[in-house]
Amino acid sequence: MREFGLDLTEDVAVRVWDSTAELRYLVLPERPVGSEGLNEDELSAVVTRNAMIGVAKVALPKHSERA
Amino acid sequence: MNGIHDMGGMQGLGSLEYEEDEPVFHARWEARAFAISLAAGALRKWNIDAGRHQIELILAADYLRMSYYEKWTERLIRLLVKSGVVTPAEVESGKPDSTSTKSTPPLTADMVAPGTARGGSARRNVQVAPRFRAGQQVRARNVHPSGHTRLPRYARGKTGTIQRDHGVFVFPDTNAQFLGEAPQHVYSVRFEARDLWGEQASPRDSVYIDMWDDYLELI
Repeated sequence: MREFGLDLTEDVAVRVWDSTAELRYLVLPERPVGSEGLNEDELSAVVTRNAMIGVAKVALPKHSERA
Repeated sequence: MNGIHDMGGMQGLGSLEYEEDEPVFHARWEARAFAISLAAGALRKWNIDAGRHQIELILAADYLRMSYYEKWTERLIRLLVKSGVVTPAEVESGKPDSTSTKSTPPLTADMVAPGTARGGSARRNVQVAPRFRAGQQVRARNVHPSGHTRLPRYARGKTGTIQRDHGVFVFPDTNAQFLGEAPQHVYSVRFEARDLWGEQASPRDSVYIDMWDDYLELI
């Protein structure tokens, strides 16, 4: 995950899903701080493929932070 | 089979390379390779598991050199030849032999969009008794079949816990060899990272693997 640019602290538990069968998994990304007021369109604009496979966090562009 | 495709836990493959905003297809031929593979699949001469096994049978040195859709193309050629749709000479020349019978794919353009939207499920609505239930401790069997299997090498002989029962699915190991679907339960099995990777792994981490009934034994 470090190679994807994701550095996690030691207290974070990592759960890996090895999709060996015909079942596919989506990761629900952690909600970024300051995203509480964003609507669906604004949220889908900031989510990435890597966030939905669990190797990146969702980052908010500076102008959309409303915290 | 214990092939190069089963890379879980391998080291020495270099650093991860990935593309930002990777396109679905990098070149037009990749889209064609994909489309032809799906269209040829509609001939129903093989199944997804038999197809995957053909990719595993690519020699390791070639496998590592080839790109994703090169492997798809190689698989398709092998499947077409194996199932008698084309001859090796036709592949070589790129032209149909005048003595060959023509296969008419049961697929027309108007069938593609609804078909791909519907997908093809490996789930089977048949009553099969589960051998395990959530919470049970199980061991992944230490087996090394020469055919297709979805049991990763890194998990064989390891102990885990059944997390949930996904229901009944086609068994790829028999289906890949056209020996029947042998529908059986698939479970999500949790393995502690330390049981797989030793002391260097974090005691907090774990790996969940989808396991068919026949991959597991009760402890």
